[in-house]
Amino acid sequence: MKECNALVKDNRQVAQDTCLMTLACEFSPFTPGQFLMLRLTGTCEPFLRRPLAVLSYREGAVELLYKVIGRGTSLLAGTKKGEELSVLGPLGKGFSDPRPEEEAVYIAGGTGLPPILAMAERTGRGRLIIGARTKDDIPLWQRMQNIGDVEVTTTTEDGSLGIRGVATQALGDVLKTIQQPCMIYACGPAGMLKQAARLAQDFGARCEVSIEERMACGFGVCSACVVRTTTGNQRVCTQGPVFDASCIEWGQ
Amino acid sequence: MDITTRLAPGLCLKNPVLSASGTFAYGEEFSRMFDLSLLGGVVTKGISLHSKEGNPTPRVCETSCGMLNAIGLENIGVDAFIAQKLPFLGTFDTEVVVNFFGTDEDEYVHMAQKLDIEGVSAIEMNVSCPNIKKGGIEFGKDPQILNRLVAQVRKSTTKPLIVKLSPMVTHIGEMALAAQEGGADALTCSNTFPAMAIDENTWKPMLGNITGGLSGPAVKPIALRIVWEVSRQAAIPVIASGGVTSWRDAVQFLLAGASAVEIGSFSLRDPLCFGGIIQGLIRYMQDNGLESITEIIGKLRTP
Repeated sequence: MKECNALVKDNRQVAQDTCLMTLACEFSPFTPGQFLMLRLTGTCEPFLRRPLAVLSYREGAVELLYKVIGRGTSLLAGTKKGEELSVLGPLGKGFSDPRPEEEAVYIAGGTGLPPILAMAERTGRGRLIIGARTKDDIPLWQRMQNIGDVEVTTTTEDGSLGIRGVATQALGDVLKTIQQPCMIYACGPAGMLKQAARLAQDFGARCEVSIEERMACGFGVCSACVVRTTTGNQRVCTQGPVFDASCIEWGQ
Repeated sequence: MDITTRLAPGLCLKNPVLSASGTFAYGEEFSRMFDLSLLGGVVTKGISLHSKEGNPTPRVCETSCGMLNAIGLENIGVDAFIAQKLPFLGTFDTEVVVNFFGTDEDEYVHMAQKLDIEGVSAIEMNVSCPNIKKGGIEFGKDPQILNRLVAQVRKSTTKPLIVKLSPMVTHIGEMALAAQEGGADALTCSNTFPAMAIDENTWKPMLGNITGGLSGPAVKPIALRIVWEVSRQAAIPVIASGGVTSWRDAVQFLLAGASAVEIGSFSLRDPLCFGGIIQGLIRYMQDNGLESITEIIGKLRTP
């Protein structure tokens, strides 16, 4: 992990309230699921950095796909090519690779797309399930159609694209069609992760989830972003954000 | 140039910059980013007799120029701390200040006894905790209770004893004197400020614990006033804690009467800030022809 100032090479809207930013910085090696903590330079406001999962890292350029939700991400969305951001990273523990005999199944909902897409692009194989509220919420549609041998299924709640419904329904349907052992990768709302974990159990699949929790530091000192696991509280930022789904105490 | 600062008999820091409790964990993560030996001292996360799980999430929330936290004093407990964390801190050339708290007087005393060991440079008492046996009033809110607690802890340890005062009192000077008379060697001013934040969309509090402690630049002017007030009344050294983000802030706290400064929330945002603040302080002294840090401490020019 290191701290550096990184030049914004590109920053543009790619879907409703969703931006894709490219930063010039050296962050090798990188594992999908890992994230960066970003802040504006030359100002104390906003006070805390924002954690963003890395979409890709290649030849000194980091891609970040992020949803514009509050004040911090709005300010990030407003940064222009040539401006600098302060970056801390790469942080956290990423996804593990699928075993050669395993079929990889990726499922993303809400703000969970970046690490999932990163993983699909890394392996270049498997089934990718994207869940969104509506068609306009889905970024990088063309790019997702062209990832090696990855087969994409889309669900929208309003039926404007792909299957009408939620991503976990599609996950159940996909799992039914697969004969070989499966490795599920999930990132999204807590309810979706819990359901993915349950389906993994039902189908005897392995499952890794990337957990989202509000953070302050991102490097393990403040103990803000804890998640309950079978071995007690774990810090999402350093012991995660990727966890084996069977270790998480999902609660109600 | 002399930037050493004396906090107690047997406790002299090589420079006046320390980490603050709760934002530095037990030093391991920061040690991977910079050499902890550059610090005047490390103040550990608050330790209790038994491990503590802490509060439900969300535990933090950003606010204007600062943040709220309600971590709930999650920690591994004193025995695990001594076995697993203290030896590592001992490998650095810096003072190790162990922050601790209890739920009743006996627990504070027991903690002080357990921490009266090699490797601990000083202990910092958090008195902003509810006294379980006295109906939940904070130890730090009643001068008599505070005085008695400090006196009991004083008798139980040979270590320099620092009392971290609660800012939520009517007369902070009175609390400072109560701690001083109880035998405190130094005072940390002060702790976070009880506060809250609400999400107007969900109608819910932003923290799992509903309320939390406010810290960061937002509280600095209040902390500055507290340091000034306490250092005028108490005879013992004061350690400032509250919104330090730069060497300028550090100088201001020294002028107000602090002998050292702790850096807390800002190091969550900028983990490498410590070196720059120490260097800035040295440059400030050079630029102003100052030979010793004591030429700044408490030298506020008032009309």
